[in-house]
Amino acid sequence: MNRRTGGVAALLAVIAAIAAVAVTTATATPNHAARALVGCKGGATIGLLAPITGPAASLGEPQQRWARFFVSRWNVTHKKFKITMREGDTQLPNVAEATKAAQTLASNSKILGIAGPAGSQEVVATTPILKGVGLAYVTGSATRTTLTDGSRSGYFFRVVPPDAVQGPTVARYIVNILKKKNVLIIDDQETYSTGLSADAAGELRSLGATVSRDSVSQSASDFSSLISRINNNVDVVYIPWQLPPKAQLFAQQMREQGKRQILFSSDGTFDPTTYKPAQTAYNSFFPVARTNKVVTAYKRSHGGQPDFFGTPTYVATQVVVEAVAKACKNGSASRAEVRSNIRKTNIKKSLLGLRVRFTANGDLNGGRFGIFRVTNGNYTPVG
Amino acid sequence: MRLRLHPPRSVGNVLFYVGVAVALGLLLREGFRLGWPLFGQLVVNGLTLGSVYALIALGYTMVYGILKLLNFAHGDVYMVGAFIGFGVLNVFGAPPNSSLPVWLLVSLMFLAAMIGCGGLGVAIERFAYRPLREAPRIAPLISALGVSFFLQNSVLLLLGSQFRQYPFGLINPGGVQLGTVFISATRIFVIAGAAVLMVVLTIFVKRSRLGKAMRATSFDREAAMMMGIDADRVIAATFFIGSALAGAAGVMFGLVFTQVFHFMGFVAGLKGFTAAVIGGIGSIPGAMVGGLLIGLGEAFATGYVSSTYQDLIVFCILIFVILVRPSGLFGTPAIQKV
Repeated sequence: MNRRTGGVAALLAVIAAIAAVAVTTATATPNHAARALVGCKGGATIGLLAPITGPAASLGEPQQRWARFFVSRWNVTHKKFKITMREGDTQLPNVAEATKAAQTLASNSKILGIAGPAGSQEVVATTPILKGVGLAYVTGSATRTTLTDGSRSGYFFRVVPPDAVQGPTVARYIVNILKKKNVLIIDDQETYSTGLSADAAGELRSLGATVSRDSVSQSASDFSSLISRINNNVDVVYIPWQLPPKAQLFAQQMREQGKRQILFSSDGTFDPTTYKPAQTAYNSFFPVARTNKVVTAYKRSHGGQPDFFGTPTYVATQVVVEAVAKACKNGSASRAEVRSNIRKTNIKKSLLGLRVRFTANGDLNGGRFGIFRVTNGNYTPVG
Repeated sequence: MRLRLHPPRSVGNVLFYVGVAVALGLLLREGFRLGWPLFGQLVVNGLTLGSVYALIALGYTMVYGILKLLNFAHGDVYMVGAFIGFGVLNVFGAPPNSSLPVWLLVSLMFLAAMIGCGGLGVAIERFAYRPLREAPRIAPLISALGVSFFLQNSVLLLLGSQFRQYPFGLINPGGVQLGTVFISATRIFVIAGAAVLMVVLTIFVKRSRLGKAMRATSFDREAAMMMGIDADRVIAATFFIGSALAGAAGVMFGLVFTQVFHFMGFVAGLKGFTAAVIGGIGSIPGAMVGGLLIGLGEAFATGYVSSTYQDLIVFCILIFVILVRPSGLFGTPAIQKV
């Protein structure tokens, strides 16, 4: 055996020895990770998964700001139990990045619970990772109905009602209150939008309305040709989109072409500072108390921007932090304890104007949507 | 000996004209079926969008012509231009609260965006591409991608992810009614403005001393240098002009579509690049025609088929053109000395 072969053999032997030691001494399992106690006497760590950069950063940044806002308020009032938040950038719609970010947070044994992720497709992609290490994750925006089909029970929770609630609420308002029967639904090709469109379309048809569908990419910036083809017999155009500026542009271009249909949009576009259509418009959102002192304080510290899309993430962070604080009362906590505490959450009056309690599958118990009439940026609750 | 690397032109030509005839036939059929007012509105929409794409494509094609480099950061230069225009708007205020008359405000927006982006283009060339000029082709390509991410994330970091809004109808909220087709004043301004810029550029490249130097450098850089042309200066000027046009396109986009954000350069850059390839990368008239074709293609695809298939149809046009005319509509066939 020459020197080179001998060196390679020695290297292989060392690798084999390390592997053997690792295999025989490894005791950590997903179950173990979930039950492992973390010392948290003076404070604890939670995680946040949000699209902080990338194409959907305009959705993720408000979530990040509201989550940070909750943590900073908590830390001011709880000097003896401070929260540290580690953030993971999911770069929606890049699911691979969401997976990486989830892995990074999951491998940090100090993290006891997670607020997020934002998108339904991200929830699907990160479930094996987060569930595998026993972490609870509470989203403030993933509304796909099937996420709470039972396969994530005890791990996944959401503080927003699912599409199955919002879509039919909108449909009933259009048919029963506005008395309109011909609806064009345009989705923005994202999971949120297509799911919501499908739920609304189903309910509209069951109520006897005529529904036509179209779709346009969320990244599009010119809707004029799409608007040109809207028939005059359409009564209502429903745009369940995620980006308020895009909805505003759509409204402007409709006006430019003299289209007079009623414009209906969803919670994703609830932003009185950006979405201010000049025509008759409606919006569905949580009955959030816009004059709440927390909203006022947030606006004051964020240049007057309310960033309403991020308010559910404030509540999601609140759910996680309160569960962690409860679990840490004896100076240590496990992820399993935090999950158990989240299941028992009962926030009587949340920032969303709703009581926050969860069903066995992680849905908001009794979640509902309100309808707002939008007039030049003024949002008036009407249903 | 010279070797042709493209299929026989006659076959490509026949297929090309058949394709054009089929497309025109389909458009006419839809025009009769859905009415000419919609057709007219789609033409206006397509020309507006196409004008913006054409200006972006010009930058791609000029840089490729002179350096054989795909400047993937070009879309982000366009984004920076849109933000510079927005910055000017913020400084002087939007009408009716502006301290300046509208014409002066808009002129300043264009001037600032064009000079700012021109300077940015020169800086990018100086620091990201020039050191790699003798490196294998893949190196500046990767550098271009790096610059693209750098610009995108710098804007995100400095200005945040929020969409910034230009006022709707800044130039004039009214417009012209041609029968049942409405053309807003902003769209007229953008189409006319882009046309003027393109004509000025064409005359500049054909007639001016620098334009001739650019063409000479593009044809054979070494020979041009031997004739006393300062290639570095010419390349820097090319980057300045191409990037200034992208800056103007950014402001035009803001004026018509009102919204600017850090990621807007990605899709627009992709479309501009596609337009440059369709027109024949390296060809200035090709970039203009390619841009208008893409804009019209998108408008007709959305209006007559569905916006779901808009990009599919645009890229089918690209594939078709590449198949039947590998060098694009106005490109010269690749000839290689062996």
